[in-house]
Amino acid sequence: MISPRTIRNLKAEFRGSALAKLGLCIVVLVVAVAVLAPVLAPHDPTAQNLDRSQLPPVGFSTTTNSTSTEMVNGSLQVVNETTEINATLTYPLGTDSLGRDMLSRVIYGARTSLLVGLLGTGLAAVIGVTVGLVAGYYRGRVDDALMRSADVMLAFPSLVLAIALVGLWGRAAWSVPDPLVVLGITPEMPASFVLPGTVIVVVGLVNWVWFARVARGEALSVREESYIKAARSVGASDSFVIRKHVLPNSATPVLVLATIQIAAIILLESALSFLGFSGTTLSWGFDIAQGRDYLASSWWISTVPGVAIVITVIGINLVGDWLRDALDPGIGGEGGSGGA
Amino acid sequence: MPEADRNADVGETAASGGATAAEPVLKVRDLSTRFFTEEGQVNAVESVSFDVHDGEVFGIVGESGSGKSVTALSIIDLVESPGRITAGEVWYRNADLAADMREEHPEAIDGEYVDTRRVPEGVRRSLRGPAFSMIFQDPMSSFNPSITVGEQLAEAVEVQQRARANPRSTRSRTQGYGLGRYLSDWMLPSRSFVSTESRDRAISLLDQVGIPDPADRADEYPNQFSGGMLQRAMVAQALAGEPDVLIADEPTTALDVTIQAQILGLLRDLQDEADMSVITITHDLGVIARMCDRVGVMYAGEIAERGTLGDVFDRPIHPYTEGLLGSIPDLDDPAPRLQPIEGNVPELLDAEMGNRCYFADRCPKAMDECVAEKPAEVGIEGSDEHRVRCVLADHEYDPARALSTTEREREASADD
Repeated sequence: MISPRTIRNLKAEFRGSALAKLGLCIVVLVVAVAVLAPVLAPHDPTAQNLDRSQLPPVGFSTTTNSTSTEMVNGSLQVVNETTEINATLTYPLGTDSLGRDMLSRVIYGARTSLLVGLLGTGLAAVIGVTVGLVAGYYRGRVDDALMRSADVMLAFPSLVLAIALVGLWGRAAWSVPDPLVVLGITPEMPASFVLPGTVIVVVGLVNWVWFARVARGEALSVREESYIKAARSVGASDSFVIRKHVLPNSATPVLVLATIQIAAIILLESALSFLGFSGTTLSWGFDIAQGRDYLASSWWISTVPGVAIVITVIGINLVGDWLRDALDPGIGGEGGSGGA
Repeated sequence: MPEADRNADVGETAASGGATAAEPVLKVRDLSTRFFTEEGQVNAVESVSFDVHDGEVFGIVGESGSGKSVTALSIIDLVESPGRITAGEVWYRNADLAADMREEHPEAIDGEYVDTRRVPEGVRRSLRGPAFSMIFQDPMSSFNPSITVGEQLAEAVEVQQRARANPRSTRSRTQGYGLGRYLSDWMLPSRSFVSTESRDRAISLLDQVGIPDPADRADEYPNQFSGGMLQRAMVAQALAGEPDVLIADEPTTALDVTIQAQILGLLRDLQDEADMSVITITHDLGVIARMCDRVGVMYAGEIAERGTLGDVFDRPIHPYTEGLLGSIPDLDDPAPRLQPIEGNVPELLDAEMGNRCYFADRCPKAMDECVAEKPAEVGIEGSDEHRVRCVLADHEYDPARALSTTEREREASADD
């Protein structure tokens, strides 16, 4: 399916574009971090240490009014004291309000974001491409029925729809055993990893419309090609023609859309977990939400995962631009020169 | 089992061929195809009837827009919306199919013939390949650029094998192709799922149509083939189902002259070898003269004149046929100018098609009676096959009754 010419285009475009290189570096880095999270994380991301809460990142120090309760002679006393907190290399990006290591949390958050991004995009692509190819191939009433229902989906703001669906189905979370821990490489890390199931399904159901539209447009043009008629003239069935001829020739724009959708879905997942609809607590959006209460005193709790989101989304979008410029020369002409 | 079936088929054909040599393999009756466009109803094919005999080449010739290709697509049931076949019968001779269908669709059976217009859609599709198959005009765009030529041929072979396992069932396509395989093909579109046998058959098909190094060429993509080679591969794909009737829709239009000659020679050879019937559609009278046994000249969706090659080329009656023949340069007498037929093919809008000869507006021999009533198709003495839809078959051209120029213009403006 990937022709030598496509690979040549990809390479040529890659060599000429610094942004493509940057994007690919970021994506490779984020993927590596997500895969090797248990190895790279210096601490257990869920381990709390209240003695060392709200430590600033390396290079910063902060003065905080900390409130603690102490048992003094059998009675509970509230002690207010102003303390100077210095950063420590043990927690390079500081700690959150419960003393959990921010670096480890960001590293584990990459897993959630990428898995939701990939699986959600995969689900959206399977639904959307199927609907779109069928609509575009059969045209007429089938097309009208499918694409009008897609338009109905599009009429809902995606975040509102996602919240409604999460509310409907609950926050089903799947606990997936962590292979690196199971294999005994990093026994001190959490043994399982929580995959926010409902969120994946929801982002898939919210975003399939874009795939349906792109796939339909491609199918409409591919179906007019002579080779479709030639395949049908030797007795190929509709499903065979769609699978073997329409799908591969519609793949390029779908692929480009998919990369951009991964970034969009990562943002949507962050928004959902920020609002508390995710099934996991190891998520960038969740950390931003819990850091919101401490913005005045401990700005890094929200900022560190926020920066991680920004970098990841930018990286994925740069890779998407690279793919688009390389695979779709028609658009690449304007987009490429504008970007460079 | 498929082997045995095929042998039985061959025996059947041989037997019936001996007993009833004149029984055509395909009988098209009053086939009408309409296109329902925004400008109105277009009568692309208007009550076309013709027979195709075993092992003959039937030619359909006409200008662009005369309904040739739509006729072909109508036979094979590949007319796309907004087009629709509105009337007519396509009787295909196949004793096995007739026996299978007799119970369920008695109205579609007549002796050994099956009316493909009255059997279910799935049966019509199963006939594509083993019964009818088609070669298209532009070989370059008739191959999927993202799949190797060999794989596309192998696919055609597999489609046929799957169909042959249970030839007439509407569910035949899913035989031996379960859900698991469907899913894996869907998930992994790049996975080549052709078997070794079908690949070998694809290579032998390529060999059969004269492609050198067929095993190597099978692994190449269509863009690595030349136009002539691709047209050969296209022929190979059409042959995959061992069709009884091969429809060649302008098979040489996109090719240069030397390659044209090669392809025509190839078609002729294959037709002799496999004893199949060929319907050749072209606007090139040279192709007709080279290939065909019998010819139908199409104009405005109708067959204007038909007959054997000699009838039509040597003794044309219809002024349109004469006009087409007059448009060919003559090497013996290179006159400075050719004599084209003035004007264009009508747009075939239903509202503009009156009860008159459609060619009268352009006809050099148009007379008053031509616009009074649509001439019926009449046989010509001296040949069993020669039939013409023209008043000239009945009486000679009489300049006294010529349709005057002013009258013709009035007709034209009335149409607008």
